[in-house]
Amino acid sequence: MPTGDQRRMIEARDVVKYFGRFKALDRVSFNVHDGEKVVILGPSGSGKSTLLRSLNQLETIDAGRIVVNGIDINDPATDITRVREEVGMVFQSFNLFPHKTVLENLTLAQVVVRKRSRQEAREKALELLRKVGIEEKADVYPGRLSGGQQQRVAIARSLAMDPKLMLFDEPTSALDPEMIGEVLDVMKGLAREGMTMVVVTHEMGFAREVADRVIFMDHGAIVEEGTPEHFFTSPTHERTKLFLSQIL
Amino acid sequence: MMITDNDNKTIEVGDGAAIPTKADAGLFTAWRISFLGAVGALAYLVIAKPDPYLNILKFVPDGIVVTFKVTIGAILLSLLLGLLTGLGRISGNRFFNGIASVYVEVIRGIPLLVQIFYIYYALGRVVHVPDMLSAIIAMAVCYGAYMGEVIRAGIQSIPKGQMEAALSLGMTRTQAMGHVILPQAIKVVLPPIGNEFIALLKDSSLVSILAVSDLLRRGREYASESFAYFETYTIIALVYLIITLILSKLIGLMEERINANR
Repeated sequence: MPTGDQRRMIEARDVVKYFGRFKALDRVSFNVHDGEKVVILGPSGSGKSTLLRSLNQLETIDAGRIVVNGIDINDPATDITRVREEVGMVFQSFNLFPHKTVLENLTLAQVVVRKRSRQEAREKALELLRKVGIEEKADVYPGRLSGGQQQRVAIARSLAMDPKLMLFDEPTSALDPEMIGEVLDVMKGLAREGMTMVVVTHEMGFAREVADRVIFMDHGAIVEEGTPEHFFTSPTHERTKLFLSQIL
Repeated sequence: MMITDNDNKTIEVGDGAAIPTKADAGLFTAWRISFLGAVGALAYLVIAKPDPYLNILKFVPDGIVVTFKVTIGAILLSLLLGLLTGLGRISGNRFFNGIASVYVEVIRGIPLLVQIFYIYYALGRVVHVPDMLSAIIAMAVCYGAYMGEVIRAGIQSIPKGQMEAALSLGMTRTQAMGHVILPQAIKVVLPPIGNEFIALLKDSSLVSILAVSDLLRRGREYASESFAYFETYTIIALVYLIITLILSKLIGLMEERINANR
């Protein structure tokens, strides 16, 4: 891993996104380096998820520029699937494929997109299921799993593509409280292994423990960013203070 | 909502409450009564009065075969047309979307019988196609529009997150559609498609106005020679009823199997 001048995994410049007349993102700029863990916080409707989803073009932006893994994703010449196969995404509502078993959920894109053999994909899938602690559920349909288990499968499904970057869109918000821990543990393990991660969450403990940097958004703009220590102990902006007082 | 009458029997009233559920299906379900009644009536007529009835029954099997050929040909072609139309209706491509939408609007606004005449004579002006093929095309063009709407609704019933998850794994839209969306949509559209299938079988009797010797036309041929109109159409109606009842049973069983495989 290079030291000092680290390679940029994400470079976003003056990103603007409208939903109709509503300005969801208002000239947002930020960078994420290789191996960095960034947590995005903010009240609901502040544009966090929109920003995250625009990083793999699930939302198309109206102005600005986003470069992911060295590729300008809004260049018409860019094949967006080439970017997406390197960028894992974990959703609030898991979005597992209900008509496929857990194992098939993990092998599908490996075979279809990465062109791996079934055997190779299967081995990779089982290895990852072991890693997230649900190897024994390989042949079960997702509908029979608890929320926490489903989300761990969803993380494993993304990891099966060997992504260079992982995006998490409120991964624990749809979970019962007793299941949040098991999902956060998997994410912490991933962070320790050096995965580059951008996480939208309301889990302040996770942000404190894992984040290299915290970004606070409000009304579609980045209000403040810094280390967790700075952010949680001495925030500078009024809006950040207000948010923290409400949530902590 | 609960309704309690004087005898303290309660009736659950809610969506679809008027439709008996599988659980309360006893020995005498509507299906069994209809099916056994139809078979019984047919058997009784044929045995008790073989003179017209058995003769009629012997005369129509060719027509049943033709009816099946038209129905199956039209269903396959209309499924293909329906899939294209359904995909067109959800497509972001204005051209395909426009064609699919206009097709659906136009077809739904013209009676099937008129379409059958029209396509038969319109085709006849350009190419010479066999009557049966012309009939199949006319049925398929009409039903393709309805199938298209069923398939569109089926695809749209799949949560948006499924497409997003597939795309975020690096799949193209086509791959996501083929591996993730359509396999799930099929389960949703199977019951309505089954209904369309039965409706198509019955509507296939309209092609008897062309020179296609389907079940109804065979009946008409027999009746016009023997003048036994009432007896002939009694048999024709019973045969149609038995066929559609068997078909609806088969479709029901298929649905159960697909749902059991979840």
